Amino acid sequence: MADQPAFTLTIDQNKYLPVDGREVHAILTVGSTGGITVQAGPAEAAEVIIVDTSGSMSGGKIREARQAATTAVQTLRDGVNFAVVAGTQKAKVVYPGGDGLIKASPATRAEAARAISGLSARGGTAIGEWLKMAGHLLSAHPSAIRHALLMTDGQNNERPDVFASVLAAWSGKFVCDSLGVGDDWVPAELRKVAEAMLGTFDFVRNQGDLSEFFRRLTQASMSKTVADVSLRVWVPQAATLKFVKQVSPTLLDLTGKRTDVNPLTGDYPTGSWGTEEREYHICVEVPPGQVGHEIRAGWVKLVRPDTQEVLATGNVLAQWTEDLAQSTRINNKVAHYTGQAELHELIQDGLSARAMGDVDTATARLAKARQLAAASGREDTARLLEKVVEIDPATGTARLRRNVDKADEIELDTGSVRTSRLRKEGS
Amino acid sequence: MICPVCETPVMAGFTYCEACGHALGSPACAWCGAPAVDQDGYCERCGLRQPTGRDHAELELDGGAAAVTDRGLRRARNEDAMALLAAGDAVVTVVCDGVGSSPRADEASAVAVETASAALARGLPQEEAFGLAARAVAKLATSVNDAPACTYVAAVVRPGRISLAWAGDTRAYWLPGGVLLTEDDAVETGEITAWLGADAVDVTLHVRAFAPREPGLLLVCSDGLWRYLDGYAFPRAGTPIEMSREMLRHALESGGHDNVTIALIPLTP
Repeated sequence: MADQPAFTLTIDQNKYLPVDGREVHAILTVGSTGGITVQAGPAEAAEVIIVDTSGSMSGGKIREARQAATTAVQTLRDGVNFAVVAGTQKAKVVYPGGDGLIKASPATRAEAARAISGLSARGGTAIGEWLKMAGHLLSAHPSAIRHALLMTDGQNNERPDVFASVLAAWSGKFVCDSLGVGDDWVPAELRKVAEAMLGTFDFVRNQGDLSEFFRRLTQASMSKTVADVSLRVWVPQAATLKFVKQVSPTLLDLTGKRTDVNPLTGDYPTGSWGTEEREYHICVEVPPGQVGHEIRAGWVKLVRPDTQEVLATGNVLAQWTEDLAQSTRINNKVAHYTGQAELHELIQDGLSARAMGDVDTATARLAKARQLAAASGREDTARLLEKVVEIDPATGTARLRRNVDKADEIELDTGSVRTSRLRKEGS
Repeated sequence: MICPVCETPVMAGFTYCEACGHALGSPACAWCGAPAVDQDGYCERCGLRQPTGRDHAELELDGGAAAVTDRGLRRARNEDAMALLAAGDAVVTVVCDGVGSSPRADEASAVAVETASAALARGLPQEEAFGLAARAVAKLATSVNDAPACTYVAAVVRPGRISLAWAGDTRAYWLPGGVLLTEDDAVETGEITAWLGADAVDVTLHVRAFAPREPGLLLVCSDGLWRYLDGYAFPRAGTPIEMSREMLRHALESGGHDNVTIALIPLTP
């Protein structure tokens, strides 16, 4: 068994509230470091690789997908339990076959590669079916770090309510990272997968890069050492926890994923962890307070749900003051991530307004997003926005561009959940 | 009986709530009253950080004399200071209120109280104790523009007689009637005309001896209490510490605009 990494929790906030202040904001930085000893073996892992083999994948795409799946299998370390699933309107276990996973070894990896080489493109797309299959396969390994890697090039043919119920049923049971290839897939669908399954989703703009994406995601999954960590948040009796969001490296709203621990405390899942750092934004609405009183507005614990072990704790505070210099001071991290969330919303609102033909709303949102992106160090996003909206440097007038490359739009849509880190002062 | 944190019913005599693990029988919160103050000093129910040190302090002597001091609700810190001690058959109390417009007023009141109470306990007369305290406070100043300052009232209570000395607007009353025993050094608008501090000029200590004919209590208090005494019915029952707490609650419920200090010394003629 692996040693678990050491976790740290730091809290950034301005605890001072004006006399009538009710909203407390804080950024929680959670880091996990080292911890794996030389003697200890790696953590138990279970991996399902899902390849879209629908009809739209025919030609060069299925060749790249076969290569990518093979790369992923080769990246698995010995002893990891795995399976390869081919997805159409159904899910089919192409390796090892049957209803279980198999331990990775030189022999099974070679067998898997042979099975993958026989994949052909034919049929529809039912992402919910694929996830259901992955869930069944992975649930035989409850103590493992359970992960699925999914790629698709097309739109999901399932009824939205069917898809939603599959996501709800399997949310929290395993982590799934997904990839969209080409320009016929819908970012909103993979975003739902990422949100439900606490994973990432990304756009593979050049299908030739697919193998590299598969290798990187498999490697990242292999580096996880803790299957599941929850943020346990207590707020005072008369207070309301308004939201809990992951804000770095990507935006992920956890508010709706609460499991009540007691009337004052709830658990929010964060998924599996390796050596990494993530940041969370929480907002607590507190009851009116007395000047000079300090309260603990939030008591945050990092908890392993399986053992109930507390890995780190921290306090979110609030203190009411009549001193405006204290209460109006802005915490840079809170401001930065509030801005990043706003940027994401502007891009999403702008793109959907554009899709619906609401030119005015789309222009206003996307032009504002462009300014915000440039101001917060998101050069890539600013460059993509520049391809969608044109701003006259002399007059400042914004105008939507015609003939936007579909791939640029998808890249913008997909990338809006990524956030920049706050630059340290002076650098 | 229910757990004050998670509201699960708990059995009397249990040490921990079986549902949430909260330690039952924890100290009561100064704000919401729930027995839920944790080891870090926060209430696990309403979140309040419990007052510590000078924010809220209580003293009680064997003979029943008691004193409380509290930051109140509007000030960032408690600049009142108090001493209450027994010296032979005497009880000595000194209460000082840091002058809000002066720097480090909390240091001024603390050093005045400590110096004067020690001197009075050694048996020095009121004037000498006051002189020592005044010099100690004056020494805190780096210039007349940086002069910590405080008011002053001292009482030495012996069987049948009370010796009082004061400067500024900190007061003494005789209970149960609520008779004011001191006279403020203040102009009509409330600004005080006498204090301890390097910038104080022509301060004359008021000294008064008082021999009560009936049993009663000497109340010494800062303006954080007496500003709310108009029409107030003083508590008639309870020990001095209980009565002090009740008067403090009255001051807080009336707005708690200033620091509050209350000393109560029982006396029989």
